[in-house]
Amino acid sequence: MLRKSWILAMAGWLLLIPTGVVLAGTFGQVVPIGGAVADVALDEARGRLYVANFTANRIEVMSLASRTISTSINVAAQPSSVALSPDGHWLAVSHYGNNVSPGSPTNGVTLIDLRNNNSKVTFALANPPLGLAFGIDNKALVVTSKDFILFDPAVGTTQVISTFAAEAAKTLPQPAQSLPANITQASVGASADGRYIWGFGDKLMFRYSVIDHTIAGGSGYTASPTLGPRAVSVSADGSTAALGWWMMDIYQLFSPRIYADFATPLGDLNLGGHAVDSPRGLVYSEVPTTRADLPVLTIRDVDNLTLRQRLQLPEHLAGRAVMSADGKNMYAASDSGVMVLPVGQLNSVPRLEASVEDLVFRGNFCDRDTATQSFVLGDPGGAKVPFTITSSNAGVRVSPSSGTTPAVIKVTVDPNSFAAQKGTVAVNLTITSSTAVNLPSAIRVLVNSREPDQRGTVINVPGKLVDIAADPAKDQYYVIRQDKNQVLVFDGSNNTLKATLRTCNKPVSMAITYDRNYLLVGCDLAQIMSVFDLNTLQPSTPINTYAANVQSVAASARGIFTVVRDTAAGKTTIHRVNMSSRSDALMPTLGVWENSVPLHTVAVASSNGASILFPSDDGSVFLYDANVDSFTISRKDFATFGGAYAASAFGEYVIGNSLFNSSLVLTKTIQPTTGLSSGFAFVEGGGFFISAPDATSAGVISRVNSTTGLGVLPTRSVEAPLLGDVNSPFTRTLAPLYSRGSIIALTVSGITVLAPGYDASVASPNISRVVSAADGVSSVAPGGLFSIYGTNLSPTNIATKEIPLPSALGDSCLTVNGQPVPLIFVSPTQINGQMPFQTLGNVTLIVHTPGGVSDNYNLTVPSAAPAIFRAEVAGPGTLFPTVVRAANNLMVTDTNPVHRNDVLVIYMTGLGKVSPFVENGQPAPSDPLANTVADPEVFIGGVGLPILYSGLAPGQVGLYQVNVSVPGNTPLGLGQALSIKQGGVTHTVTVRVVN
Amino acid sequence: MKLSHVLVVCLAVSIGPAALAQKWEFGGGGGGAFNMSNDVNRPTESAKAKIQPGFSAGAWLENNSNKRWGGEIRYAYQNGEMQLTQGSAKAKFSGESHAMHYDFQWHASDVDSPVRAYVAFGGGIKLYRGTGEEQLVQPLSRFALLTKTQQVMGMASVGAGVKMKIGANWQLRVDVHDYLSPYPKEVITPNLGSEIKGWVNNIVPMIGISWTK
Repeated sequence: MLRKSWILAMAGWLLLIPTGVVLAGTFGQVVPIGGAVADVALDEARGRLYVANFTANRIEVMSLASRTISTSINVAAQPSSVALSPDGHWLAVSHYGNNVSPGSPTNGVTLIDLRNNNSKVTFALANPPLGLAFGIDNKALVVTSKDFILFDPAVGTTQVISTFAAEAAKTLPQPAQSLPANITQASVGASADGRYIWGFGDKLMFRYSVIDHTIAGGSGYTASPTLGPRAVSVSADGSTAALGWWMMDIYQLFSPRIYADFATPLGDLNLGGHAVDSPRGLVYSEVPTTRADLPVLTIRDVDNLTLRQRLQLPEHLAGRAVMSADGKNMYAASDSGVMVLPVGQLNSVPRLEASVEDLVFRGNFCDRDTATQSFVLGDPGGAKVPFTITSSNAGVRVSPSSGTTPAVIKVTVDPNSFAAQKGTVAVNLTITSSTAVNLPSAIRVLVNSREPDQRGTVINVPGKLVDIAADPAKDQYYVIRQDKNQVLVFDGSNNTLKATLRTCNKPVSMAITYDRNYLLVGCDLAQIMSVFDLNTLQPSTPINTYAANVQSVAASARGIFTVVRDTAAGKTTIHRVNMSSRSDALMPTLGVWENSVPLHTVAVASSNGASILFPSDDGSVFLYDANVDSFTISRKDFATFGGAYAASAFGEYVIGNSLFNSSLVLTKTIQPTTGLSSGFAFVEGGGFFISAPDATSAGVISRVNSTTGLGVLPTRSVEAPLLGDVNSPFTRTLAPLYSRGSIIALTVSGITVLAPGYDASVASPNISRVVSAADGVSSVAPGGLFSIYGTNLSPTNIATKEIPLPSALGDSCLTVNGQPVPLIFVSPTQINGQMPFQTLGNVTLIVHTPGGVSDNYNLTVPSAAPAIFRAEVAGPGTLFPTVVRAANNLMVTDTNPVHRNDVLVIYMTGLGKVSPFVENGQPAPSDPLANTVADPEVFIGGVGLPILYSGLAPGQVGLYQVNVSVPGNTPLGLGQALSIKQGGVTHTVTVRVVN
Repeated sequence: MKLSHVLVVCLAVSIGPAALAQKWEFGGGGGGAFNMSNDVNRPTESAKAKIQPGFSAGAWLENNSNKRWGGEIRYAYQNGEMQLTQGSAKAKFSGESHAMHYDFQWHASDVDSPVRAYVAFGGGIKLYRGTGEEQLVQPLSRFALLTKTQQVMGMASVGAGVKMKIGANWQLRVDVHDYLSPYPKEVITPNLGSEIKGWVNNIVPMIGISWTK
């Protein structure tokens, strides 16, 4: 009867889909068993999955091929755990029969001989079994509430190999709605190589070595909330395992260690599950936060639980899960029985994936026009998947807002809708689908409409950024990207990403050791702290934090301290780090005070290593003095603290917008007091302070005189710095570089680079010359790249890699006949940009900077002005035309000359209009190619070269390429004239031609 | 003149005496290849251009038209890296040459003698080839450009050797030739403002074996 009802239910479910019912796609196939699943075991040789049906007293045998319950093996009462011997001979089943009067215990193990018609023998156990698993020796480790028993099925002998403090095994009967995991409260599983067996109960946690019969761990762990789901998933070599919401490994041979936690777990024993996929380095998991959570399978990196994908499930997982040997399928206990999840064939299920995380719209005082950008929405497997996109702000429109993948989505922003906000507004584009099984992340559209007085250059860094630190010895800085478990290392000389370091789970705080050799990264969801060698930017041995999750870390000259959420003690305390042993230890006291601080406490060291400040959000504060190696001050003069925190080398401290002396007594309030404090950085006796009224406003940065507390020349920054919230009241967002060449701020869109003289008065810009960017001599044509030379054109040197090109760069922008010009590079004496395609004839250029507006510069733009770029290939002064031989993909030089019958690619600019039309600042398309409207003529030594292609170089802005073939009668020799003629203009360079 | 044309002329010269043939010799051998260096001069400095020593291999077809005189058409392959040096600075580029020439031979003894010393003189063509991989930059390129191309030059040949009978129809031959050709300035190209003086003086010792009839 049950089977029939299940078939009808499935048929009904399948029939729903073609009717067009709006139903989000789900991943995986449910196979109901008509009972309560307690454990699963995979027998791939026989094409079976054994499912322990706890309440129906049978082992359901599911066919892997048909995914149906093909048969059942009746066994003794309450089969709670099932395991298959590696040789495929034996199926062992434990029975949880901890019955109390008037019943009697029926605990035992049933051995099923799979090679002998499933003949069964049942052995009684003295204590209720928590679980069992086979090792590579084909012996089963049976874990009871009191002991570890080694069971040899070949001879039917048992051997107690260890005992432990008894688990409080639940007795039967249990209240209604208790599911198997709530009753047995334990799970045991073996590694794929059969060398290790991991398991855990309510107090017991262990790893058993099959080879040497030793047990690491034991009884006595604590977890809050309870460690659910009560399922164990072991890596292929047994080195790591997922136990409930903990990821564990073994350090120092015998000590289990929690190297990552799942975030905010519910702890329900019967809700969720996971499986480790070692070849892919992934863990597939459902660890819900609440019982009301929709069933979602997350795919995470196994080493630090970085989230990769989220897939919607048809129902919740409910305990153990196993992987097939080929990694194609995961078989998981679920609410109805078993779920088959084709995790190795994700490309065969409909999913949505966007080509971008962020879209940045940077309007400016030159450009208030509607702006459009695009991204691609596709299915990684190439399928046609329906989608809908909704914008959280009416000023951001998408087209099409629904359709089928693959699709190019145009996002249009009307700057006038955001005119009131002078900072950056983050608008979310939410992507949904009726069939896609994944839950794609929202795309963040960042809209900024700065005004001339707003300083700084924003570099978009997607993700959640939470901390910044400047290297104390070189122009390099570090930014924590929390959502990806990364530290991003930026080169301070050009603000480009230099390296990405993988951290522990949910990094929250960084510190650099006083010897400048190591970067320490504390993580809220790990009981280790990541360590990186700053000389090599390679990971070093992590620091064990022993059941404590780091909230903040700081390093003085004498000691390194962490603020930790101490799970075992149930409070937040301060630990001291030992770099030699890579461990930390609870400080017995903080000087004369008890070691207990609020959860939201942070730590920051002074640059000279003399002290560490520990402010808390309840308004209390501690100070550690490295000279006496003790905590010397503890005060609570305020009701709350939050925002910026910093310590100076001169005995001054900042919390929020308050300035404290060396006794932590308030001395000044930093002016202006408006806005929310975000970041403070002491620099040579003074400091910089950044704040903002809210996240969508401009930030305000000022120099602070630490004697008076006055902010000097408060200046608006291009966007707001990151601001604190209830969960993270303290923020560290300012980092002056070692050379003081730039000040880096963590801001809404990523990082904002401010020149050290950001507040200096700036002289008006002046244009002296406008020429082709290719050779610095030729004229400028529509769509061509050009250079402006002059003075005071920009306060800083900045080049962009953004595509499409921004119409403002640094603090400069440029108009031609009032139209904004896409910019590539700005510096005090030079600006490079793209002449808009619409430009022709007599035009007027005007440069806008914070110093004002330049005088009009009148220019005549011809329809064509071909010019070949030059490149210094052999060192300074060795300029060669950018003509590339297709034969070896190298530029033509005297030592890589043109050969007769070569094909050459000539990179140039100034060839004018193209068809189809390409928007200004946008990269050229590759399909169709953007051909020049008027083809040029190309000659070498007077011999015409057939044109193979003439148009924009695909993917590039304003860069043209002309492909030509070299005839066999081309004159030979050094210094042959290569000429390009177009529109009556001839441009000539010289090349060497050989046979 | 194209290489194929030159080969035809040489073959004709060879076949001419064959009509009067009294004794033929066909053989092949191998040995070394050595070149003298040449100066590459710029107004204020100079460098050395040279084809490095390499190996050689060749083949010949000879006809003895009378007791003392003979003539042969000969092919010689030489492998040798082109090189520019100035002090410790050096530029290298793989190269090779192919020589095809006709030599008149005068022997010191009659054709039936077991040991025959001889001298040779003649001329032909030599094909120089740069075979290296072209790069964006090359050291010392202000002096000369080592180029992946080929150039055919006229060539004079003088030589001497000894032929020794080692069987009824076999003889061992040891000889040395000096090939003189103008400098192949398309392969080793003097850069603007530079000048390479002199000829390529190429010494090719070879040992080989011939079949005679």
